[in-house]
Amino acid sequence: MVDAEELKALIRKKLEEGADAFLCLVDEEGSLVPALVTGADSPDLERIRVGGVRYPLAKILVELLREYPGRRFAVLARGCDERALVELAKLEQVDPDRVELVGLACTEEEARACGCPKPYPTRVDLGERAEPAPEREVIEEAEFLPDPERLRFWEEHFSRCIKCYGCRNVCPMCFCEDCALENPQLVEPGVVPPEFPSFHLIRALDMAGRCVDCGLCDEACPADIPLRSIYRRMQEVMEERFGYRPGEDPERRNPLSELGTEAEIKKIMGSGLEI
Amino acid sequence: MADKELDFRLVPSTCVYCGTGCGVLLQANNGRLTGTLPLKDHPVSRGELCIKGWAVHEFVHSPSRLTKPLVRRNGELVETDWDTALRAVADGLRRTRDEHGPDAVGFLASARCTNEENYLLMKLARAVIGTNNVDHCARLCHSPTVAGLARVLGSGAMTNSIEDLAEAEVILVVGSNTTEQHPIIGERILSAARKGTRLIVIDPRAIHLSRFARIFLRPRPGTDVAYLNGLANVILAEGLQDEAFIASRTEGFEEFRRAVAEYTPERVEQITGIPAADLVEAARLYGRAERAAIVYCMGITQHVAGTDNVLAVANLALLTGNLGKPGTGINPLRGQNNVQGACDMGALPNVFTGYQKVDDEQAAQKFEVAWGVEGLSRKPGLTVVEMTEAAAEGRLRAMYVMGENPMVSDPDINHVREALSCLDFLAVADILENETLRYAHVVLPAASYAEKEGTITSTERRVQRFRRAVEPPGEARPDWEIVCELARRLGASGFDFASPEEVFEEIRRLTPSYAGMTYRRLGTKGLQWPCPSEEHPGTPILHMESFPIGKARFTPVTYRPPAEEPDEEYPLILTTGRILFQYHTGTMTRRSPSLVKEADRPFVEVSPEDAGELGITDGERVTVSSRRGSLEVEARVTDRVGKGLVFMPFHFAEAAANLLTIAALDPVAKIPELKACAVKIQGVRS
Repeated sequence: MVDAEELKALIRKKLEEGADAFLCLVDEEGSLVPALVTGADSPDLERIRVGGVRYPLAKILVELLREYPGRRFAVLARGCDERALVELAKLEQVDPDRVELVGLACTEEEARACGCPKPYPTRVDLGERAEPAPEREVIEEAEFLPDPERLRFWEEHFSRCIKCYGCRNVCPMCFCEDCALENPQLVEPGVVPPEFPSFHLIRALDMAGRCVDCGLCDEACPADIPLRSIYRRMQEVMEERFGYRPGEDPERRNPLSELGTEAEIKKIMGSGLEI
Repeated sequence: MADKELDFRLVPSTCVYCGTGCGVLLQANNGRLTGTLPLKDHPVSRGELCIKGWAVHEFVHSPSRLTKPLVRRNGELVETDWDTALRAVADGLRRTRDEHGPDAVGFLASARCTNEENYLLMKLARAVIGTNNVDHCARLCHSPTVAGLARVLGSGAMTNSIEDLAEAEVILVVGSNTTEQHPIIGERILSAARKGTRLIVIDPRAIHLSRFARIFLRPRPGTDVAYLNGLANVILAEGLQDEAFIASRTEGFEEFRRAVAEYTPERVEQITGIPAADLVEAARLYGRAERAAIVYCMGITQHVAGTDNVLAVANLALLTGNLGKPGTGINPLRGQNNVQGACDMGALPNVFTGYQKVDDEQAAQKFEVAWGVEGLSRKPGLTVVEMTEAAAEGRLRAMYVMGENPMVSDPDINHVREALSCLDFLAVADILENETLRYAHVVLPAASYAEKEGTITSTERRVQRFRRAVEPPGEARPDWEIVCELARRLGASGFDFASPEEVFEEIRRLTPSYAGMTYRRLGTKGLQWPCPSEEHPGTPILHMESFPIGKARFTPVTYRPPAEEPDEEYPLILTTGRILFQYHTGTMTRRSPSLVKEADRPFVEVSPEDAGELGITDGERVTVSSRRGSLEVEARVTDRVGKGLVFMPFHFAEAAANLLTIAALDPVAKIPELKACAVKIQGVRS
């Protein structure tokens, strides 16, 4: 259990040390929602809560940094939030000098419920590091199927899609102004379920070298499509080919941004990739 | 550098589109809405939304928002100040009442506005003007549900809850394209199906859910009583009825048994086109299930036999004892975020709040005392379509329309236009420019859901809150304020409310099913009515022990064909409906970029067989005509519709399906038959 007083003290400290606002979850009439605490004596401090639900805090920070250029922010970050912020910094969406992290380790229960590969940030200020609990069930189930059945397996899952775009909208790593999923040349607009397999393959490809395995897409998907397992497979390929895991090492450049043309990427990614 | 003031909040609210009642977080950044997130710990949506929910912020800052009061001078709407506009409305209504009597005035309330606003408008109509002519577009969607289920069960609302569908062994979806109209409920149904719940889908069109159905029946539109009675016939023939439930909790069974005797599968096949063997199989599946839920929507209600259809649905649930326990029930899905609430609030011509009847002396006196008035009219008022009729005939002379767009939503638009043009006075309060403003003498700019406080009631009777996230644009004001100001200018007392919460307090004092609710208790998760006391946890499942009328009443119904059947001149049946990416008359969704990207063009679906015979190709422009009107639209050749059937969404004013539809009314609920009329199609070139 996280000690509430300890957390409040950490937040006050960040605010006193120069952060203009602290992003965390507060109790809003019975729901936990993200909020900015803006003063060390703010009454919001009493409403701060930890646990229960997760929100795309990194995504919210991207907007805050853009909207308030001179401001500095601190955030109560879990392992997944940190990974997103690290990768977003490499993609020039986050200025790491303007964001400070207070590291929160997930409980064992939370780690298991999330199937999380790394349920703690680099530096843990609150909580105890729990064992990673990476979950590969779905992808293993699919991997051993013969080709036509595997296609049917995914087709069945994707046939429930109602094109809410929740997977993209909630994704901390999705920030493009023009989204390929909305390009009528690539995906026919207005059709439900969306074209198989283009819609979901485009998204999966865009997640290569980018997905930090936070699992918010799975949580947002009303169709129970095992999206995260697809993107995980993409990351396994990235690791096998390039030894790269998104969001891990702030110093290491993303190999996909060092590669040449799109064609070359496809060549490397396309050979032997099976999901 | 001078840093901008940090002004960033995520405000919990409720989605403004369909009746599912999903929880949203509005992202308010520097006074503007910049995004929407799903509210993760919401009991219904659980952190999930459909595309419309994710886009719910997009129309709020549209340049088409109304920001100044307008009055018509020399034929033109010109900007004015609030006082002038409100005085003009007060004068218009007062003059009509004084010259032609209170029943020459009509009010359209709104399933888009809050409970508080609907309550105030109906109070204004009844207590200040003195008429029961107050109705809203529930008339066009679930009035047969309100009338039919009230008669059978004593309560006209969804009996069970959305979450509860997961408990069903069998779900019978009839006349509901759930995935497109109530997407999150549709996904809950699919989720149940993945865990073993078996689906029966009955719909003239192939819909998203039908591909997951164990049994998919495609009746001819408007033959619902026949196959519903047919299902009951088979259940009885095979002895699958719930004798214990029938004996202890219902009455009128013998009469019902006799009435369905003639609906043999063979006869039903002749009427509906559903193969007899398929009907039998569906009846067995539904009849044998321990827990079976029925989900229905406008495919059942929007017919001249709408009330009979609802009764036939209810009979089926009574016959099998599928009421009052988890995973069962009669579950009408309400189409608009607050259509349940607008009905609950008495924005209907025959009832006060909580369905207390205006012609019930005791109820009328209760409201007279509470409102401090005398002589409330005991005569039920006019319904939506009857108001149009009365306006055309000169009996109705003035109208106040709050947040509705009858020029696109109502049947036979040419007739609506004539009727509105006949009015001496029309005031419209709305958030966005729409087709109805053209006929208004005064236009009042209203605040949207994101700019005000209030409550709305979802399809599962869950009362939830809107919270103010941003300021209204320009001079726009919330409807509750507008109505109070108007009442004051009409010299009324009893409208001195400082906040919607104060209005809600008055509502709950007068409405037993809402009595135990307070804004604080509603919080971010809401409460389901009935909630009679402040200790009561709310009611997820109705009728567990008994029905409000004691025993439920089997009500036999007889099949009657649609008002207008295809003939040589108009050989096709037109059915209308909605699509996932748009909403109703499109005033909001067509101003939401991410929805417009998906679908922003009207179309008519034609079967490959009919297209072949008519020489029409996919994408071609065609003329669709009925006895009431004609329009040009793009043809989509698709097997979603069967031979003889064409489908059009009604969202698009430039090819408004309601130019074609018929205003033939169900005799009880007065709902028009929007789901079936006769049309013909020709290629534009020919």
